[in-house]
Amino acid sequence: MPILTTDSKVGHELPQVACQYKLEHFKRGDETTIHTNVEAAKREGLAAPVATGPQVAALIFRQLRDSFGIGWIEGGRCDLTFRRPVSVTDFCVAKGVVSGRAESSDGIRLTCDVWIENQAGDKVILGTASGLVSGATSSG
Amino acid sequence: MKAIRVAEDEHGRRTQYEEIELGKVLGEMEWVVTDEMIDKQCELDADYHVWYRLQSPWGERVAPPQISYRPPRWLLSRTYNVRGLFTKWEMENLRPIKPNVTLHIVARIVDKYVRKEREFIVYEAEAKDPEGNVIFRTRRTHVLDVVERTAERQGKGVDSGIKAERI
Repeated sequence: MPILTTDSKVGHELPQVACQYKLEHFKRGDETTIHTNVEAAKREGLAAPVATGPQVAALIFRQLRDSFGIGWIEGGRCDLTFRRPVSVTDFCVAKGVVSGRAESSDGIRLTCDVWIENQAGDKVILGTASGLVSGATSSG
Repeated sequence: MKAIRVAEDEHGRRTQYEEIELGKVLGEMEWVVTDEMIDKQCELDADYHVWYRLQSPWGERVAPPQISYRPPRWLLSRTYNVRGLFTKWEMENLRPIKPNVTLHIVARIVDKYVRKEREFIVYEAEAKDPEGNVIFRTRRTHVLDVVERTAERQGKGVDSGIKAERI
């Protein structure tokens, strides 16, 4: 059951999803990349290997799937900005809160502010996301 | 140490900002999501939801929507040799991505700009199923180099934006 329903109010906090990353998460076969290799990263002007953006953003997508259910897979939208590189050994947590509600031809759409914080509390990815909700059948 | 921008990598000379053509179609491709690709995406994201593994409200399993990340990037790489970093991701999931359905994907360059002495490109892509239904749309922004555009281009990069086309 999705967490968000037509009864959910602005200010409702989304479930947090976290991950402690390690370099192995970003290996792809035997490829030498800026995500796994110090020299490759430094050549591109980075201080050290950086996490793959989509893999970190996936914490937000998981949060949205759990929050909207069907309304994320079919009708979900997001607009994310990768504000700064994430280290391959960072701890990241996806957070979010319902920020708006609108009726459309597809039904009721809830908009959320979403972001990912690292262990220092820096918002490394942030943006908005929305999904369609249906009647209240769950808590929220 | 003086900052430099990489000039080339194993796939040849890096594309320069001036060579990015607004409106250019990056290409089209047919893409079939397989069960193996869905398994790989779940593994990458450490997300093993039952809809992605067994069955879903649409019957069979469906793919995590973010599996749509790579094909538009592949189309960019078929046209331009860009490493850089991904900076913005807009995504619209109109219908579930189902296994063994052929998707027709088209991508094009829609904008480019310079901000804080760095060069950005924007491209869009859309995927349709064989019935013509739009499955997903996306708009991406990519910075060509981490280093400022005033830095000289020289030397060879270890990494490249051109990768094997697999999840």
